[in-house]
Amino acid sequence: MTRRLDWVLVVFAIAGAILATAPVSASSSVARDLGPMAQASPPDTTLDDFLEDYADSTERYFGMAAAPLDTAGLDSALAFGLAHPDAAGDRSGRFALGFGPWLAFNRVDGPLYGATAKVGQPRLLGELQGRLGYAVGPNDWMGGGEYTKLWGFRGSDATWLFNASAGRFTGVMDRDRADRIWASLRAFVAGTDNQRYLRRDGFWARLEYETSWWRLGTGYRDELESPLEVTTTWNLRKKAPSVVDNLPAALGRAREAMWYGTVRLPLIHGGWATAEHRSSGSAINSDFDYRRTRAAVGAEVPIAGVVSLVPQFEYGRLGGELVPQAAFYLGGSRSLQTVESSSRGGTGEAFGRLDLIGAPELFRFTNVLGIPPNSVQAGLFGALGAIWGPDPYGGPTIPGVDWPEREGWLGEVGISILLRPGLPDPAGFIHFDWAWPIGPDARERGFSVYYARPLFLVRPIVR
Amino acid sequence: MPIAPVLMLAATIAAAPSPTPGPTLAIEDTMQTEVPEVLVRAPRVTLDEILDRVARGEARRESLITDQTFTATVRVVRNVKGDRPELFEESVWRIYRKRPNRLRTVPLRRWSAGKKQGAKAEVDVEFSPGMGERVVNFAFRPNARRGYRYRIVGRDLVGDRVIYRIAFETRSLLDSVSPSGLVWIDTNEFVIVREELEFRRSPVPVLLKGIDRMVVERQRAGEHWVLKRVMMRGEMTLPIPKFGKSFDFAIHYDDYELNRGLSDALFAKPRRGAPAAPAKSGGR
Repeated sequence: MTRRLDWVLVVFAIAGAILATAPVSASSSVARDLGPMAQASPPDTTLDDFLEDYADSTERYFGMAAAPLDTAGLDSALAFGLAHPDAAGDRSGRFALGFGPWLAFNRVDGPLYGATAKVGQPRLLGELQGRLGYAVGPNDWMGGGEYTKLWGFRGSDATWLFNASAGRFTGVMDRDRADRIWASLRAFVAGTDNQRYLRRDGFWARLEYETSWWRLGTGYRDELESPLEVTTTWNLRKKAPSVVDNLPAALGRAREAMWYGTVRLPLIHGGWATAEHRSSGSAINSDFDYRRTRAAVGAEVPIAGVVSLVPQFEYGRLGGELVPQAAFYLGGSRSLQTVESSSRGGTGEAFGRLDLIGAPELFRFTNVLGIPPNSVQAGLFGALGAIWGPDPYGGPTIPGVDWPEREGWLGEVGISILLRPGLPDPAGFIHFDWAWPIGPDARERGFSVYYARPLFLVRPIVR
Repeated sequence: MPIAPVLMLAATIAAAPSPTPGPTLAIEDTMQTEVPEVLVRAPRVTLDEILDRVARGEARRESLITDQTFTATVRVVRNVKGDRPELFEESVWRIYRKRPNRLRTVPLRRWSAGKKQGAKAEVDVEFSPGMGERVVNFAFRPNARRGYRYRIVGRDLVGDRVIYRIAFETRSLLDSVSPSGLVWIDTNEFVIVREELEFRRSPVPVLLKGIDRMVVERQRAGEHWVLKRVMMRGEMTLPIPKFGKSFDFAIHYDDYELNRGLSDALFAKPRRGAPAAPAKSGGR
């Protein structure tokens, strides 16, 4: 595929996704179950004529695209293709190559310059991706390899996924809200990246089974986790960074087993629930001893075809040793936006958000502004969140065991503009959120720009 | 003379149409017929029942196909809204599918505007080994029912068949990828025989301004309904050099052979130096 027309591939990949075909796991009993009205019937020329009338009008509309195929030369091409499968190239893609840049920017690595390369395809022999980069801040090389293999053809009712990675990478302390691209942009342009970072050297692997209704997965990792120091404070706008330090990670080898699952809620439209549990301890020779559990639910409830109500809620608990890189954090773009990103930590977290999002047809005027029509939506939101338990930053313990005390809750309301680019995720939106705090505490108004699906606390299954 | 009858007579004369030249049509009052009332006791099939039957009909259709061979033509035409539509690319494939998930694709022709015959195609379409034809029935599969609203638009009596027209639209206001549409359902087999799709919003606004029209047609191959054509007209958000803005994208499905007992060897990976197995059903 030439670089000149990569966009064509993107467009038709979407078309291909729409056109992808898949079997229903049907058995012969289906035929018996269909009832007397559904017997196979002999061909009916009247019906053919009926459909042909529609087909004629379709041909007039599409013209050249609907013209019949010129079959000259196809028989000999088929004979050759069947006899010479490799020469005909009908198994291409098994070793497809791809290259790309690997660029990042944050206050611990500074600018990172690197490249990625990948070979193969996940649905064939698997995809092997490698990346190597040089972090200018600590003068350190980083990178590693990742292998992804999918079983089950596109659109099938069930798939298996195996994914493994090994190498040295910079990780984010808040596991539930890691942000790469936007955080890099914010750090580079204005120094407003508030994430806390650590180094991870080692490997992880996971195995996942997914149907259209539920997903189950398990994983294991063995990584040396180490703290990182701030090396870079400059940015394009020459402003002081919003966060000048970095929460030190606990140094040690983390061996951790993980189980997770997602299920479609049967009685709620667009409803999903997800849960994950991670366990680390001496039984698997880990330097840390903790059990981390997180659960979340969310749904989209359309009302009268005009607005959608999107409630979502998450709850998390960390038991055992307080390890900063396993703790829960509150604040930031996909949390409470009137709280500085990840600035509050603890061993327990509860967060809920309710969005009321209008239909895109309400914003047709965006066409006038040059933005594609129906790609902008607006909404209102309210959010409540609390964090409790020992503070990984070393502050006083916030009261609460399994649930926060009443005064521990923080609230906010806001408005949001959602712009849907359609790439890389067709369901993803660029959110522009303005939030105002509720309550007597001294928080300031928040503004966030981030890319996420409206249901960002759960990971719905998309097929 | 009493004045009231005179006034009535005058009014009648005034209201009567003036005689016009030409034939006069007499009122037929000698042929009368009466049809006795018939009380229909059979319950009308509900929309839910129709949807259930369509899901079963589509599953049945799929379950009856064990292997499938067809020729697929992928065609892109550019500048379709301009003066001179131009074929931009055409590729032709022979596709072999066999349950449960075997697939072989043999390229027969690759033509691209300004490129040599046999050059690698700009547009790749990935064929699935499945025979479910999801592009037709995606909104009528059991696990999709919750996500759509349906309504009966009309019924057509075609020979001894009733064809239902059912419109569907996605419930979600946040889902831009799932289109709305209209399907024609043959109620003899409860199989979808035609589909028109409408994308009220562009699935990829940054690239595509919109999809004007998309049509999916089915045809009979022996006893089975199978895909005939999938056609789509779209417009890019920005004009692309050497391509323009508007385009048609079409896939034609021809020369079907169904349930011919394709040999497993046809799908086996070729060993170096070994001759490849021919298709049992022959060529095209």
